[in-house]
Amino acid sequence: MSYSLNEIEAMCKCASRGAGLPWGLCEEAAKGTRWLASFGFPGPDLLVSLLELNDRLPAVDLSPVALQGIWRAPAGRLSPLIAGAAMSDCAIKMELGNIITMLEVDYPLLVVPFASGAALRLGQPVAVEWEGTRMVTNGKELCVQGNSEAILSSHAKRVECSAPAQMLSQSKPIHRAVVGDACWARLGVFAQRTFAPATEASRLRGAGAGLTDND
Amino acid sequence: MIMSVCETDAIQLRSPDKVMKLSRLGSIHQSRLSFMRILLRRMQNENWRFDRPVFEMDECGVGHAVYCAHGPDRTYSLVAFSHDLPAEKRSDRVIADAWDATFTLFDGIPTSEDIERLSRNVPLQEAGRICETELSLSRANRSARLWEHIVTALAKGEQPDLQKIEAVGYLMRTTAVYGSGKFGAADREMIADRLEFQSPFQVEMLSVFLTRAFVRDLVEYMARMKGGEKAVKLDPAIARSMGIGNSTGLGMAPFLLNHPVLFNNWIAAREQAAARVRALPQASEQEIELFRELLARSILLTASWTTDHQIQSEKTDGLKRDLVSLQQQAENISDASDHPWNQLNTWAEKELSLEGQECLTSLMLEPYGALVDDLANTMAADNTPTFRIAGAMTLQDLREVLERVYGWALEIDWSDQQNKAKAWYVSEEKLEPRLGERFEEPIEEYEQPLAPGRDAAALYHALGHWPEDKNIAQFLLRHPEYRHIVRRAQIVNQAPYAEIRDNTIASDVLPIDMLRCKLAFFGAVQFDPRSDRWVRINMYANAPYPEELALQSDDFWVYPALRKGN
Repeated sequence: MSYSLNEIEAMCKCASRGAGLPWGLCEEAAKGTRWLASFGFPGPDLLVSLLELNDRLPAVDLSPVALQGIWRAPAGRLSPLIAGAAMSDCAIKMELGNIITMLEVDYPLLVVPFASGAALRLGQPVAVEWEGTRMVTNGKELCVQGNSEAILSSHAKRVECSAPAQMLSQSKPIHRAVVGDACWARLGVFAQRTFAPATEASRLRGAGAGLTDND
Repeated sequence: MIMSVCETDAIQLRSPDKVMKLSRLGSIHQSRLSFMRILLRRMQNENWRFDRPVFEMDECGVGHAVYCAHGPDRTYSLVAFSHDLPAEKRSDRVIADAWDATFTLFDGIPTSEDIERLSRNVPLQEAGRICETELSLSRANRSARLWEHIVTALAKGEQPDLQKIEAVGYLMRTTAVYGSGKFGAADREMIADRLEFQSPFQVEMLSVFLTRAFVRDLVEYMARMKGGEKAVKLDPAIARSMGIGNSTGLGMAPFLLNHPVLFNNWIAAREQAAARVRALPQASEQEIELFRELLARSILLTASWTTDHQIQSEKTDGLKRDLVSLQQQAENISDASDHPWNQLNTWAEKELSLEGQECLTSLMLEPYGALVDDLANTMAADNTPTFRIAGAMTLQDLREVLERVYGWALEIDWSDQQNKAKAWYVSEEKLEPRLGERFEEPIEEYEQPLAPGRDAAALYHALGHWPEDKNIAQFLLRHPEYRHIVRRAQIVNQAPYAEIRDNTIASDVLPIDMLRCKLAFFGAVQFDPRSDRWVRINMYANAPYPEELALQSDDFWVYPALRKGN
């Protein structure tokens, strides 16, 4: 079905929270997924697969051990959301010519939206590369090189982020995206966990409407 | 874009610590920079044309109608569906599932296929689906008190009882107006570059403006069905006095917290406007005269404001007294006064309640459209530039930001249950936002991040043992749970009016303060709280109807006209 980008963002934020991510990361997962969807990528599918994989696991297990050297996770697999957010936080490192290298990253395409944030901060395009794929963004537009299998792969052994990068072609975002019903339902399972069960007491007290709301 | 906040040197902007208190935000009044007034001003200046190409109703008033607004470049159409709602189903709660009337604002002129598609979806509201040609989705219920009375009176060839009308103020009240991307509608980003949507909430305000015309037409139609030849139309002056009601629950409160940059831009525009006026060294006799006239008309407006809510009732009484004192004080200013508006403000800060002070802030902008109206273009926001965290900021700098912006929160004892008694959550029932008792209900695990004061204090505490030269990127790698509040702190560091500087989860928090603030920016009047978290208001009361807009010579419709003798 066709969704507005705001719907996608709202659903992804809720679903990420339902999977146990801290609010700040939920916000970024949601913005990132929206960003990918606006370029026609199945961001919601990748996100929900990641949420299922890492459901309620401690964020720290999937985070880079340190920001120096090559990034790896204590538990072996890096979350693209946590590593991506850290890359955006450290954007300034890339400005100095350093390449940020991440090892064993799940759903690497989910790192790319963070490169857009980094690019906006640096004012120059940032490249993200893994296994024959190269994505370059200046924050507003995206240049894609690679076959779709590699782009959508569920895991990459090595992901490299660098700046400044050259944009050879540019695709612009669109304001609409199609998300499959099955994917939406999978996201909905996570989102549902964030809603308090309905009770009569909550219905009366919580919204403060009192017994009569009519006149 | 964050609005710049330091253009006026002569008179300082009011400090965020003063402005962003809930009690003051909950006392704000509509102004020239309210979204309804911005919209009507534009449509008036640009000579928008209006028509009603479709009005197909059966004898029970069930059917649909289309109202078009033609601007210089584009046409927008309100598609209205009118239903036969059994009285027992009429509810203002978001958990209702049927309404007297349902609406969408269509981008362009709908074809019959569009209307057929919309007729299968718009009446279902949240349970239906709209698409990118639709810009809003809304619904309204009749005021049971007034609707029957007016239909019956008009059907008999009589005009309705004015006292009954004044007691309510509207014929229908909207219970939700959804915009930007909701339920499949177009995202704001799709239309944000159109001049007519440069200011916030213009889609929603246009939809309500056209809804008001539809409601008047429908009540006249029903009277004709009932009374036939005998029926008369509603006296234009009575019609004009009536607005569209709105019944608003908690959903609006999180909005202000979830859109910090946007909120900053609203408040900053109003503060900037006030600072420009206060900085004027002199006022002309005409400007002062206009101010006095609108003050007198404000007194009339305030007189029409009734509520049974004890706190608001006391506030309104205070405001009524304040406006009379202000009237006396305003006699002392003349074209010879030095900085007359600043003088009046300084006096008001000492002598008037918050309601009175904020009413003056709005009123003194009125004579100065040429000086302040451009600020309407600074009130929207693009969040992209402020969303990313600046990870290179040192923890020492972050501490300083927290002390400056959240100093009030660092002084609160967060271990005291009273200071965190409430929790904001979302119910699975139609995702209604609610506020519960943290220590009495099983809701904490569902808590939404709407307590920035508490979170900032926790962050400040967590930073305590970190070396000051470490940076945010390093800290967040270990503490992703603070990512949300670090982002907020960095936003408020750049946008000083972005944060409500008060405790939003205290046992005595009044969510209606947040609702009032947002609704005042819409341009609402007659705030009538039904509880601490639920408020009714009136929109577009006294406004011209679409066909009257071109005849309007000024922009002061919100203030009722002075009767002979006042």
